[in-house]
Amino acid sequence: MSELLQAVIFGVLTGGVYALMATGLTLTFGVMKIVNLAQGAFLILSAYLCWTLWAQLGIDPLLGSLIVTVPLAALGILIYRFIVERVQRVDHRLTIVVTFAVALVAEAVIALVWGPNPAAATPPYFNEAFQLGSVSVPRAQLYAFLLAVAVTAVLQLGLKRTWLGHAITAAAENPEGARLIGVEPKKIGTWIFAIATATTAFGGAALSFLYQFTPDSQDTWIGLTLSVVILGGLGSVTGAFAAGVLLGLAESVTSAYISVRWAEAVPALLILLVLLIRPQGLFTLAARQDAAA
Amino acid sequence: MTQTKIRRMLIAAALAALAIFPLVSNDLYYQTLLILTFLLAIGATGWNIMGGYAGYISLGNSAFIGLGAYTTGILAAKANVSPFLGCLAGGLVCAVTAAVLSLITRRTRGMYFIIVTFAALQLLGIVATIWSGLTGGSQGLALPLPTWSLTYQNWPFYYPLLALLVLAVAVSAWVRRSKLGLGLFAIKDDEDKAAGLGLATGAYKLIAFVLGGTFLGVAGGIYAYYVTFLNVSAVFDIVTSMLIVLAALLGGRGTLWGPVLGAFLIEPLANLTSTSLGGADAGAIRLLLFGGLLGLVVLFLPRGLLPTVSAWKNQKQDDPERTRLTPAGHVSPERRKASDGTVLTVRALSRSFGGLRAVDTVDLDLPPASVTGLLGPNGSGKTTLFNLIDGTVRPSSGQLTLAGRRLERASRQARAHAGLARTYQLPRLFPSLTVLENVVLAERRLSLARLFLPRVTAAERARAVAVLADLGLARYADASPAALSYGQRKLIELAQVLWPDPALVLLDEPAAGISPALSQRLAGIIRRLRADGVGVLLVEHDVAFLASLSDQVYVMANGKIIASGTVAEVSADQAVIDAYLGDQVALAVASPVEPAR
Repeated sequence: MSELLQAVIFGVLTGGVYALMATGLTLTFGVMKIVNLAQGAFLILSAYLCWTLWAQLGIDPLLGSLIVTVPLAALGILIYRFIVERVQRVDHRLTIVVTFAVALVAEAVIALVWGPNPAAATPPYFNEAFQLGSVSVPRAQLYAFLLAVAVTAVLQLGLKRTWLGHAITAAAENPEGARLIGVEPKKIGTWIFAIATATTAFGGAALSFLYQFTPDSQDTWIGLTLSVVILGGLGSVTGAFAAGVLLGLAESVTSAYISVRWAEAVPALLILLVLLIRPQGLFTLAARQDAAA
Repeated sequence: MTQTKIRRMLIAAALAALAIFPLVSNDLYYQTLLILTFLLAIGATGWNIMGGYAGYISLGNSAFIGLGAYTTGILAAKANVSPFLGCLAGGLVCAVTAAVLSLITRRTRGMYFIIVTFAALQLLGIVATIWSGLTGGSQGLALPLPTWSLTYQNWPFYYPLLALLVLAVAVSAWVRRSKLGLGLFAIKDDEDKAAGLGLATGAYKLIAFVLGGTFLGVAGGIYAYYVTFLNVSAVFDIVTSMLIVLAALLGGRGTLWGPVLGAFLIEPLANLTSTSLGGADAGAIRLLLFGGLLGLVVLFLPRGLLPTVSAWKNQKQDDPERTRLTPAGHVSPERRKASDGTVLTVRALSRSFGGLRAVDTVDLDLPPASVTGLLGPNGSGKTTLFNLIDGTVRPSSGQLTLAGRRLERASRQARAHAGLARTYQLPRLFPSLTVLENVVLAERRLSLARLFLPRVTAAERARAVAVLADLGLARYADASPAALSYGQRKLIELAQVLWPDPALVLLDEPAAGISPALSQRLAGIIRRLRADGVGVLLVEHDVAFLASLSDQVYVMANGKIIASGTVAEVSADQAVIDAYLGDQVALAVASPVEPAR
């Protein structure tokens, strides 16, 4: 019983982190129907930046992530304005191909700057745990989870309470209508990309002290975050959170009861299963698909 | 004509040169380079059937190379099966896998397909690593070494791959010329519309994906024997997928020769970088180079080399001039006889979106050989009702019976096969097809044999030319629909949906935005349909137009039918006047004799 409880706690904490890592993908996918495959590389880039701040200047990754949001937001804006937005005008289907190209280039640049060796930050709370009876709650996981909750809450509030949030929601539901009332898609797109890549900094910070990472581990992380987005359904921030937790649970239960190696296959398997059974995602309501003529 | 001849001679010369090359040169470097180029060209040509023709881009196609390679390798290493037989098994395994993936994605579109191929590649890589008893896992799998004499060099790899490439291009060319290809291009342009015309889009996509996957699987098998050693990270490498996509995009996706051209440009470059770059950063620099190249191609050459060149050549010719329509003529050559009772019965049909009841317990009865008008203010649910009838949207509850068959849960194809046809307010023609191909596209039933027919058979062409001549559009038969005016496109769409002799036609604002002359001809066509026994359901804001044609009228407001009957009855109904018509329309109907006949 305590083994299951331990798996559940670990799964929930990890899942929150997965949701945090997938937030950027959720935003671009949900609002703009753009799958930004470069998010995996941006996640690794953030992890390296947080790690460098920690290793060189002793800045805790949780704090360092705030600094890293700035270059990441700038990167998002550049990628959108100079690449994605241009491709989108020609052929929407090619946006995923071009972001794939960006991912490869980013991986190459990361490898050239930081080299191919694995890195991981080890702040003081690394490898420590709170003991609750027979169950232990790892501190690093817990802090990352709290960070995920905070980021999700702020994003959710921002979407509900600010003009920009309303504009983003409107553009997601009805792009043409949003344009008619003065919500310019290009402007909204720039904002979304900036926010999406900026939040990746937090996911990267969590990654930097929770896992070892190498430039080519972006491949694993894009697969994992894609599966969170697909599970959660289009672009719902809270849906992505629920999906992240579900994925974390599925992984930790798989490693506890089947094998650690099969846990690695869980994200890809879930993508295939969900698309087979419920392609609209697990946590979405039926939305009106036909625009009124 | 001469241009075709020159092209054929060039292709024949290139093929002959490739065929005799190993005989006259014993340079193993170039043999190796060509072997890898053939492999990439096969991969890109296979990818192109799904990614180019149908527009379904895949980022996981190297999964098929890996699957074919491992099937062949395992058969050779464990069961001593000759790799040249084993590679056929590899093709078979890939065909089955492609079919399964197609079934998984059958309800999803666009982006999801890319994600599924991506996930499948990752999953296969992970499974191959874990299942080390079979695949050798991360240790790798060694195949038996070739046993033939060294004097044959790499011929036993070179010629089978060359033959496979020729076969792949031949199959790709056949697909382009067949009904299969016509359907795939239609899917790329507008998959919903294609389904509404009765095309079994799922079967089309499945066949296309299986064809491409099979070629990759066989090629992967030959490749396995060629390298004699397989390891997971090399064989299921996403970079291989990237090179396949890059070759196809660079040469021109959707063209026959583009992927081959792209492969012959990319592989030498890839080979050059792998031989000239060394050191720890070599991998990163290669990634930078090819990732960057892919990005540049998408950004600056999104259509690829061949289409860009041919567009540049065509610019020198003038656009075909436009002509106005000439009056007279009709669409239908032959028509089924009217059956008794109703052609469409709708009972308590409802559809909610969240809290909004867009269509609320609607009842309709449409007799054959009649025109039924559907009136209502914007947002009253008319288009959603159309979407419910044609299957674009599934009902929350209620019944739908078309020509005696219950269809409320049926697919769009099944409805089309049962005799349903529908035009759109803004005509949706397929820009990749010619006007004539647009007209003959619709399918009455699911038939695999039909896919093997040429795009347009002689009989279809004769009949379609007659239809076009009736519309005064015969000269546009082989033009792109983009050359037509808005009104002309509306007429072509009508001809398109009437092609399979439907029993029920839904017309969504057919007279909106077209000239009075054209709307009179439209009225003539609708009357003829009625005379031929077809049921017509008409949404139209031009009340005079509707009044002059309709035998009965239904009026919708807020998702409900609020009145029905003859035009005169309905226009006297106070609820209708309040909801929609207003005073001035009552006047128009008071003298319904002339307005538009």
